[in-house]
Amino acid sequence: MEFGWSADEETHRTRVREVLQRTLPPDWETLSAHGPGSDEQTAFSRVMCKALAQERLLIPHWPKEFGGDDETVWRQFIMAEELWAAGEPRGPQYMNVNWVGPVMMQFGTPAQIEKYLPPIRAGEAIWCQGFSEPSAGSDLASLRTSAVPVERGYRVTGAKIWTSYAGHADTCFLLARLPSAAGGPQGKSAIVILLVDMRSPGIQVKPIPALLGNGDIHEVFFDNVFVPVEERFGAEGQAWEIIKYLLQHERVGIPRYAFSRRALDRAVAKLKALGRWSDPIVQDRAGRALMFCEACRMLVYHVVDGKARNLPPDAYGSLARWSIVQADNAVNDFLTEFLPEGLLEQDPVQLAHHQRAIAAGVASGAAEIQLNIAAQSWLELPREPKRG
Amino acid sequence: MNYGLTEDQASILAGLDQLIAAHSPEAPKEPRNYYYDAELDRAVAEAGYLQIAREPGFGVLEAALIAERLARLPWVVEAATSAIVAPVLPIPADLQPIALSSGDFSRPARFLPIAKVLVLNRGEDALIVRLDNATIEPVETLMAYPYGRLKSIEGLECQRIAQCDDLRRRWRIALACEAAGSMAAALAQVVEHVKARYAFGRPLGSFQAIQHRLAMAAEVTEAAKWLALRAAWSDIEADAAMAAGFAQCQVSQFTYDLHQFCGAMGLTLEFPLHLWTYRLRALVGEVGGASAQSQAAARATWTEAA
Repeated sequence: MEFGWSADEETHRTRVREVLQRTLPPDWETLSAHGPGSDEQTAFSRVMCKALAQERLLIPHWPKEFGGDDETVWRQFIMAEELWAAGEPRGPQYMNVNWVGPVMMQFGTPAQIEKYLPPIRAGEAIWCQGFSEPSAGSDLASLRTSAVPVERGYRVTGAKIWTSYAGHADTCFLLARLPSAAGGPQGKSAIVILLVDMRSPGIQVKPIPALLGNGDIHEVFFDNVFVPVEERFGAEGQAWEIIKYLLQHERVGIPRYAFSRRALDRAVAKLKALGRWSDPIVQDRAGRALMFCEACRMLVYHVVDGKARNLPPDAYGSLARWSIVQADNAVNDFLTEFLPEGLLEQDPVQLAHHQRAIAAGVASGAAEIQLNIAAQSWLELPREPKRG
Repeated sequence: MNYGLTEDQASILAGLDQLIAAHSPEAPKEPRNYYYDAELDRAVAEAGYLQIAREPGFGVLEAALIAERLARLPWVVEAATSAIVAPVLPIPADLQPIALSSGDFSRPARFLPIAKVLVLNRGEDALIVRLDNATIEPVETLMAYPYGRLKSIEGLECQRIAQCDDLRRRWRIALACEAAGSMAAALAQVVEHVKARYAFGRPLGSFQAIQHRLAMAAEVTEAAKWLALRAAWSDIEADAAMAAGFAQCQVSQFTYDLHQFCGAMGLTLEFPLHLWTYRLRALVGEVGGASAQSQAAARATWTEAA
């Protein structure tokens, strides 16, 4: 058992910090407050990801055969920690390197790999994930967007909602449902994954004004959109296997506590500058927020450690996910109580943290679903009987 | 970073489990607030487990693993203080059990009725009091540890420690390990209960309202354990204060939920939940309580230079 870093890992962290210091513009804090899906941050992500690619820090964890460096899980995670603490300057492209690429390598056809990996490697691709629908959020399997097989492809009709980055995306990783016919596939086995060119005729994207920042979430409407059969991802009936694989990559890939910890560190520095740090109440509350951040770090590290040691996946990620919600909110509560002026457009980092914290329990599926999983898989409690 | 046990650590814990299996008494017949097992306490000490932090190649982390494991037992043993705190005290290595307390000598102290030495944290300094000829009054309490009160300090051999930082840091680590082990055992007890107990034709544990709060309790339990072990590994002030403070500030909700799901049964001495929840409640106020730990963690983390 070891809770420290090797010399190599420390050096790696220092290098990532140096690259960030060198690459981030002086107005990065203001720019990052617009949210990862904003015009500003999306445009900057193309600059930043190119720079990271040049430093071989964009996809170091990918296998060498796909252009990566076969980096260890921990070196990958150290980089993610530093990038997330800095406000995630990869913008929407974090998704590409975290799960779109790895899922593509695992399940994509040679033609899809040839087409989609080079722009990701170059730091130029913007993807969105067409998962949630007005009637299918955390209950993803109940999605209704239809994909009707036609000659040479599928016709897609339906609506997606809460779609991040859709306003800028080149490609949508879309989940749709095949028509159910007597004896045909139903439920999860009727879901098909399509890689949809967002410039296809029949697609309409509408931004949803929200508390989360400009351009972060959207409605996406598909009206009889043609998708060539070559863009079907995986076999019909294989979608749920792929979704489970990608959700594992998606959910442990984001060390959100690192940003919370940075926001907390900044707040303490500010309170010191204001002469308020000597107040024992301030120290007490800051210490409590710190405890939640560090508790979260320990649980997330546990998940990463399992990956690093090739242990079989378990429900620990669900416990870790709940701790992320606790940490984000503990820091947000501290900042709102002791530095309320930060939310009055005075502190872009605090505003950005607030906007991420209020979505912590909702993004990537409701955290309560993770509690269900933890209860049933980790504690092995009996499932709730189905109604009807 | 590696959360796995080393071969040596796994071997130590396997040996401890064997020792526990060999020495554990039968289930007690009389419901009581706590069960102190002197024989197990002696066996753990004689087997050298309480000296592990002093052994070459081992340290506070191994002591913490032992303390956390022993805290899961329904019988209390004085292990955490002897294994984790004692190595920084100027006392003979085999002088145990040890009682720890703060403030005035006459305050009730955990393990005092069976202790050979009392370590009294007085804030600015600490006092080590040998209890060879002491008069100790037992204290009746709901808490699930033996408590006693020292009647007088006159005539007892006392040694002053001017610098208490090491004592407080290790006390926090020991407390965090005891809390983590107690949480794990209490949670396991309640999980078994809600699987077996039916209401409205269903196991209690199938109700989502219960599942969610037990999952939250599981998250707290795991976080408490890993914070405690990290603190033992690093042996630094900030980590120790965070580990103890996190556990202490979670006790209220944790114990409320666990008792709630056991209904009135959970309020009886017959049902063993209190054996751990009333250890947790006993630990809530130690080393100044959660607020003292969070302030200490804050000060240690954000020094003037930070």
